[in-house]
Amino acid sequence: MSEHLLRVDWPACKAHGVCAELLPEVISLDEWGYPIVHEPVRGDVLELARTAVKACPTLALRLTAPPPRVTTVA
Amino acid sequence: MTGADILNGPALWFANRGTGFVLLVLLTLSTMLGVLSTARATSRLWPRMLTQGLHRNVSLLAVTFLAAHITTAVVDTFVDIRWWNAFVPFTGTYKPLWLGFGSFALDLLLAVTATSLLRHRMSHKPWRAVHVMAYAAWGMGLIHGMKMGTDAATVWGSALNFGCIAAVSVSVLARFGLLAHSRLVTT
Amino acid sequence: MTATIAVQSAARNDVGLIPKVSEGPALLAGIAQGPGLASHRDRLGPAPRPSAEMLVEMAREVDLRGRGGAGFPFAIKLAAAARRRAVVVVNASEGEPASHKDATLMTCAPHVVLDGAAAVAHALGTREVHIVVPSELPSLRLIVEKALRERAKAGERLKVELHGAQPWFVAGQAQAVLQLLAGRENLPVTAWKPEAVSGHHGRPTLLSNAETFAHLGHLARVGSAGYAAHGTADEPGTTLLTLRGDGWDPEVREVAFGTPLTDVLSEAEMAQPLFLGGYHGTWLRPSQLNGLAVSRKDIAAAGASIGAGVLLPLAEGWCPLVRTAALVDYLAGQSAGRCGPCRNGLPAMAEALRALVHRGGPAGRVEELCGLVTRRGACAHPDGTARLVASMLARFSDEVDSHALGTCRGNRREVFA
Repeated sequence: MSEHLLRVDWPACKAHGVCAELLPEVISLDEWGYPIVHEPVRGDVLELARTAVKACPTLALRLTAPPPRVTTVA
Repeated sequence: MTGADILNGPALWFANRGTGFVLLVLLTLSTMLGVLSTARATSRLWPRMLTQGLHRNVSLLAVTFLAAHITTAVVDTFVDIRWWNAFVPFTGTYKPLWLGFGSFALDLLLAVTATSLLRHRMSHKPWRAVHVMAYAAWGMGLIHGMKMGTDAATVWGSALNFGCIAAVSVSVLARFGLLAHSRLVTT
Repeated sequence: MTATIAVQSAARNDVGLIPKVSEGPALLAGIAQGPGLASHRDRLGPAPRPSAEMLVEMAREVDLRGRGGAGFPFAIKLAAAARRRAVVVVNASEGEPASHKDATLMTCAPHVVLDGAAAVAHALGTREVHIVVPSELPSLRLIVEKALRERAKAGERLKVELHGAQPWFVAGQAQAVLQLLAGRENLPVTAWKPEAVSGHHGRPTLLSNAETFAHLGHLARVGSAGYAAHGTADEPGTTLLTLRGDGWDPEVREVAFGTPLTDVLSEAEMAQPLFLGGYHGTWLRPSQLNGLAVSRKDIAAAGASIGAGVLLPLAEGWCPLVRTAALVDYLAGQSAGRCGPCRNGLPAMAEALRALVHRGGPAGRVEELCGLVTRRGACAHPDGTARLVASMLARFSDEVDSHALGTCRGNRREVFA
């Protein structure tokens, strides 16, 4: 099962919107132009996801294995 | 017609001038597409990916013409331009200053190309710092072309030069104009 | 009860008032004798020196949770950071305006916190300790510096560095603190790994709230059984609460878990809606307060969270919607501005909330914005704000309906002017 997660580096994201154009199956844009990642990336769109990661003008998109949810706010 | 004749005759010189002008047009187009990218210009018929893709391809095409432009200059025996003059600015014997502008532009474009090919392996801020030098490369290349002579004095030569200046200027001004009104551009 | 001390805490709330502090059963025992090292050692003896394994085991036994607001199980964090070249960070920046427990601890009982930090540093085999204090309380910094000098003179060998946090709400966030330590702006950045794994200079970093370290020191000294002398079997120990922190008559108190809320709040306060946790907290209706105790689990079962131990009963004659709208206004202004959804979404939420409160504007828009900002930022600031708003909508739907009709049950008629 190769389920990857597309994660956004939010301070780096400048709402160029290239990712949503390349991967509309997984990413749409909110009213301010920032990406909403709807679901994990499954095998059939994995290559497109990799292209989207490389195409982001500010390198704000990353493909990772699903992370353990660890929140730390001291 | 022997090889020496070709090297000594006007063919390479014409090729050099030709590649020079094509290079100017390609770099101008690339610069405009770059500006369009930062302005996030997009419409139903023109996705952002198209701007990005064209920018990349036009730039790579420009690099090949740059290679041809330099090769024709170095190989041409009529003018004494050595291969290292192309890379080290202001070391030539023929019009060293204006040739140097071209060499400087080449060095900048080499840095821009190398970093762009490795963009996803490096951090974004240093990549961007190098990339904006492409503007300087365009400008220096333009001046190099205007001052190296030959065709700059002709009507079509001047028209092309000023056309390129106008095109980039309009793009840059429009980009900042766009920024002022756009709700989407939130840098 | 024990004596309240009016002027020892260096904390000061937005209205300029210093919170009342009472002696407590564990952490705040002995504060009447002042913050000096001598009286601290006289009373408690030398600093504890347990091994990392022992510390993790004890923390697990008493289910010690972080006191910064998220309530993360400390044993897990400690186990993750127990590797080579670790760094200890005591977070006393207390960016929460309605919380004064950390400032109180650092000024009334600094050695309780520092004993805990020293114990953890020793257990992790490191000498490097960073302490983050609020830069807007210079007297606090002086007290901490004095306490550190006392300890150094007494032979403690730690490399302690003090840092002043900016007076922003998000300045105390873990990544923001790490940025401060690295000499950059005291604002959050994206974390690809938890800081216990890779934090300051890529090293395992144990970053926790000051009160957490205080509990740890106490735990290391008295053991799990001793720690469980207060509290309940399910939730051993005590916790610090800040009552009425951002208004009149603020107070900091240490209470054992399981203490009924009626022992902490007045009768009048029990009849009012309660906002608890901190500014990213949740609301409870007065009917939900009956029978409720100061207990993480009880409060969670009621649909709220104990958070950073901040209790803000709504003042009489005030409206929870108006109060929430004002809070969201503040929180929107406290966005670091680094992430698009937060920078755009929080002000939009404030605007939508104002419309809801003043003109009966659509709750749907408010809900939509809550969904749009959640989990779309480098830190949990937008998430916490959305949680606050969602809590308001869930608890006070009657009030929302009233406002839509132009009336306010809290009698805040002027909001409709």
